[in-house]
Amino acid sequence: MLCKRLYFYEICNITKFVATNYTVNPLTLTEELEHSFVTQLEENQNIVHKICRLYTNDQEAHNDLFQEITIQLWKAFPKFRGDSKFSTWMYRVALNTAITLYRKGKRKIQTQDYEGVSFKITAEEYDPTVEEQLKLMYSAVKTLNDIDKALVFLYLENKNYREISETLGISEVNARVKMNRIKEKLRNILNP
Amino acid sequence: MDELEVLKKQWQSREQEFPKLTAKDIYPMLLKKSSSIVKWIFIISIAEIALWTVLYFLIPESSKKFQEGMGLSTLFTALNIVNYAVVFVFIYFFYKNHQKIQATNTVKKLMENILKTRKTVHYFVYYNIGMAAILMFITNLYYYFNKEQLYQILNSDDLFAAVPAETFILFNVIGGIIIIAFLILFYWLLYGLLLRRLKKNYKRLKKIED
Repeated sequence: MLCKRLYFYEICNITKFVATNYTVNPLTLTEELEHSFVTQLEENQNIVHKICRLYTNDQEAHNDLFQEITIQLWKAFPKFRGDSKFSTWMYRVALNTAITLYRKGKRKIQTQDYEGVSFKITAEEYDPTVEEQLKLMYSAVKTLNDIDKALVFLYLENKNYREISETLGISEVNARVKMNRIKEKLRNILNP
Repeated sequence: MDELEVLKKQWQSREQEFPKLTAKDIYPMLLKKSSSIVKWIFIISIAEIALWTVLYFLIPESSKKFQEGMGLSTLFTALNIVNYAVVFVFIYFFYKNHQKIQATNTVKKLMENILKTRKTVHYFVYYNIGMAAILMFITNLYYYFNKEQLYQILNSDDLFAAVPAETFILFNVIGGIIIIAFLILFYWLLYGLLLRRLKKNYKRLKKIED
């Protein structure tokens, strides 16, 4: 009896397997992949925007880098297994693109430079001293080199040192030491 | 570091002003071609391998006639066989290394893999420049010690009939040095322009670990 039931269960599974594998044509599979990718990128696009803003100086370069990051993410997407969050995986690919893969300075026309960080302001939280402080700090961060910028960015995104070290490929202890040195560097930039 | 903490707090709690892209904006981006440094490295590496391989086919007939007349053709045939073997080994390693370049690696690993791929091609170019220099040195030395034979061959050729053997060797050496110097310069420029930023960043990362 048990045997029969198991047998029946097996048959059901095989039919299900055959059904799912042969009714779905390859085109819709790619479309599905595309759809899933685009939806997730749309949801998490601000991470990419923040990196673009930090690593470029004008709107055109920003768009250019955003485009390249999107291509790199899309190329790597089939290997994304979902054992980490999409956003975590994104940090790595996006930073890799900004630091290493993207070729700077190929554009000839320089459009209007960005002023700095632009947080959305609501009436009650507006405090001119804080806003000024933010602008100064952000422009200090922008003067850092590519690697230091990546560390500060991950720090601002509230990543712990384990995550920072795993993204960059350095040890946790060294990430911590490096971060302290960067803070020192920023202090010197702000109060020369 | 109070200011950084202030920035971090605001960074977390407030949204920044960015263009809001919709799925409609993102879809066309997937179809665009990458212009990343890896693509350029790939194109340039293939061009370099092809250039050096093609150069072997471009050795002029007259030079082959000299080699034959001087009794060097067996040596050159042997060298050609060795050379093809070397080319294939390099292409294999280049392909292997290029496969390893992935944007999902850690920042450091990605840089390492790119530099490694470039290094393979560098060694190939070094090998070729070195080979060309050694070969030039040996053949001219050989010509010098067999001046009589060279003189006979030169005399039988309409173009070189009036040229003394010593002058022929001298021009041979000068020409060779100029070509090799030009290749080194060209190569150094190309390589420097492409990888300067990457190398700088890689050194910074390495320094953190030291």
